[in-house]
Amino acid sequence: MDWFYIKGILILSGINLMAVLGLSLLTGFTGLFSFGHAGFMAIGAYTAATMGIKLGLPLIPSLLIGGLISGVISLFIGKLTLNLKGDYFCIATLGFGEAIRLILDNVQYFGGARGWPGIPLKIDLWNVAIINVVGILILINLINSRHGRNMIAVREEELAAKTIGIDTFKHKMISLFISAVYAGIAGGMVGYYTGFLQPKMFSMNKSTELTIIVIFGGIGSISGSVLGTLLLTALPEILRAFALWRLVAYGAAVIFIMISRPEGLMGGKEITLKGFIRLLNIRKRSGKAAEG
Amino acid sequence: MLELKNVTKTFGGLTAVEKVDFIVRKDSISGLIGPNGAGKTTIFNLITGIYKVTGGEIIFKGIPIQNLEPHRIAGMGITRTFQNIRLFKKLSVYDNILTACHRNAGYNLMESVLRLGRYKKEERNLRQDTEDLMEIMGLSKWRDHTAHSLPYGLQRRLEIARALAVKPELLLLDEPAAGMNPDETLQLMNLIREIRDRFKCTIFIIEHHMDLVMGICENIMVLNFGRKLIEGPPEMVQRDPQVIEAYLGEGAKLGA
Amino acid sequence: MIQFLQQMINGLSIGSVYALMAVGYSLVYSIMNFSNFAHGGIIMLGAYFGFFFLTLFNWPFAVAFLGAAICAAALAVLVERVAYKPLRMRNAPFLYFIISAMGASMFIENFVIATIGPTFKTYPAVFSREPFRLGPLFIGRLDTMMFVISAICLAALIYFIDFTKMGKAIQATAFNPRASALMGINTDLIVITVFAIGGFLAGIAGVLFGMKYTVYPQIGFITIKSFIAAVFGGLGSLPGAVIGSVILGILETLISGYFSSQFRDLISFSLLIIILVFRPIGLMGKSTEEKA
Repeated sequence: MDWFYIKGILILSGINLMAVLGLSLLTGFTGLFSFGHAGFMAIGAYTAATMGIKLGLPLIPSLLIGGLISGVISLFIGKLTLNLKGDYFCIATLGFGEAIRLILDNVQYFGGARGWPGIPLKIDLWNVAIINVVGILILINLINSRHGRNMIAVREEELAAKTIGIDTFKHKMISLFISAVYAGIAGGMVGYYTGFLQPKMFSMNKSTELTIIVIFGGIGSISGSVLGTLLLTALPEILRAFALWRLVAYGAAVIFIMISRPEGLMGGKEITLKGFIRLLNIRKRSGKAAEG
Repeated sequence: MLELKNVTKTFGGLTAVEKVDFIVRKDSISGLIGPNGAGKTTIFNLITGIYKVTGGEIIFKGIPIQNLEPHRIAGMGITRTFQNIRLFKKLSVYDNILTACHRNAGYNLMESVLRLGRYKKEERNLRQDTEDLMEIMGLSKWRDHTAHSLPYGLQRRLEIARALAVKPELLLLDEPAAGMNPDETLQLMNLIREIRDRFKCTIFIIEHHMDLVMGICENIMVLNFGRKLIEGPPEMVQRDPQVIEAYLGEGAKLGA
Repeated sequence: MIQFLQQMINGLSIGSVYALMAVGYSLVYSIMNFSNFAHGGIIMLGAYFGFFFLTLFNWPFAVAFLGAAICAAALAVLVERVAYKPLRMRNAPFLYFIISAMGASMFIENFVIATIGPTFKTYPAVFSREPFRLGPLFIGRLDTMMFVISAICLAALIYFIDFTKMGKAIQATAFNPRASALMGINTDLIVITVFAIGGFLAGIAGVLFGMKYTVYPQIGFITIKSFIAAVFGGLGSLPGAVIGSVILGILETLISGYFSSQFRDLISFSLLIIILVFRPIGLMGKSTEEKA
């Protein structure tokens, strides 16, 4: 396995990670399920590509505008659907995601269903890494603020959250907005990495894949999402030789996780520097105790 | 402080609460009793805005609140506990309380994402408030335990602590002594009195334990089939034949 | 006018098969309160069973048809045992069921791709392509069969639900699972029955769709139409599912007939979002105030 190949996997992981982080905030921390995040990615992807190609903007502003437009659209969607209960919100987002894809299929300006080639290749390992680090830092800060805690309260017990004065609707909106911005940026990176966009890339399967990664990594854990993304993006690539069977195994693995370890890899816990040091100390101490 | 005027709530064709009038005086401890299904919890749900009233008015500090969103009502100073405890189950005791302290900080989203400005100072205050409240409520020892791993009595206590974190002026307790033994009930009575004095809040309790209700409430409303049967101080309620009949059937004696 | 009537008839025939899928989905929803996303996989398997029974074993149509439905029912129950029962036993939140369902769906689809292959398979001509003539109208034999078979199945289902002891037990469980269990209704048996019925109807729908279009691993995607129909009619309501399906089927044929088939799906999904926004309980659903 050469460096070129590994680099490719890392970049792909990085792009996926950005979308997963956003969904992690929505699903993992706020408890809302979306089957339409591929739709937000698509909006970001097509907007960012337009900004770059038609308006000549550089990469980062293009991506940011892509994310922002996706976020603004999420506000409309949220306003309409966030009052719906569990399953209904899921199905509404599913409808949204598919509608976006079908609309793009019919917009000839962007190449329609045949796709849009010739997008400049501007994504490399460095800018992917930087974008993700910034994305992770922002998310960590958010989670550890009153806004983040309010979102977690919505996930844990919505009614109780309301009675302690949390505006649950507003916090769901914030969560959806931020997660759509992340998805939009991820979508933008897809275009600038592959040089080609096609509505098919943002089908329901993509949304499903993102949700599965969040669950696999563990609800309510950012490090879980990172780990989950790396594993689930890299594994299928490494297993390409068994291409036919890898998705079968993937499906079986998802069921297995749900019935045996539904808390996912990290189970709501985080890998932190402090935790790591504490772990080392315990090792040392128990070592000494054994000596004594 | 809180006034219910002619409050009515129907679900479809079913009338759960019918034309109830009641006044909760400032700094008092008031009680709400009645047989199961009398509509007690419905009244709490109406006060906290979880249900919208079908008719009548609910007035808090001179302002009608009957059609406000629950979080606005909480913001005005009314909060509650639930009959079937609703804690943030997977969070620690500390995080449960810390989350509820959110109203005492004013930093905005930008400030939290960038950790700027008011964030650090206010966050430090929140954490201090949380530690203080845990100390007062005797929960410090359980700081890092997850809420659902606590014994039942402590879960009730934590739910009250979480409500107090909102700094309420009116605290509604829905069957706080449910499932407690007489000893724990006695402790709870003292705790409720202490809360009233220490946090300067008015308290309104739904409870089935007559010892508790009769022991600490100054004014009691009895509800039966959604209507107010009678209202008055414990001695009066205890002796009222209507109440005794509604509760225990004829020939029985309350509190005996 | 003639064309309009022609479209209505075609729409009715498609809509009736949507109804077969939608009632199975809705039945499971009414008992388990989650969207069974693996329903599409069962439909696809039904279509393949029917195909192989007809081509490999040369069974007569009626036998192959019934065999496919029975096999689909058995597999639906199997999926429940493996992917949902462990979650049920633990009272897991509904989102775990959804994820597990997605895992099952992914497993089934890719298992078929890996073993049978991704290619399209065409059913042998069971019915002659020669349509019936009714005055100026042409009515396809297959379309007629689709309608007749669906109608018979739905009538049988309604009889079963309304007039048998088991059917009443299902209704009771849908209304209040805890109370029904306390009254001595065996919830586990109810769940098995519901999945068996859903699977049986899905198998029939699969064979009918296989004959109408072709068989391929992604044919299960068509169930998304039944989700829309079920939401349209009111999730969990059987008459709602049937009415929603028929309306959706007619609407779709009219749109493809008068505008373009490209807009057909787009309009279906937009319809979904509009219903969710303006009448989330659907046509026949009951509105409920959350109990505190």
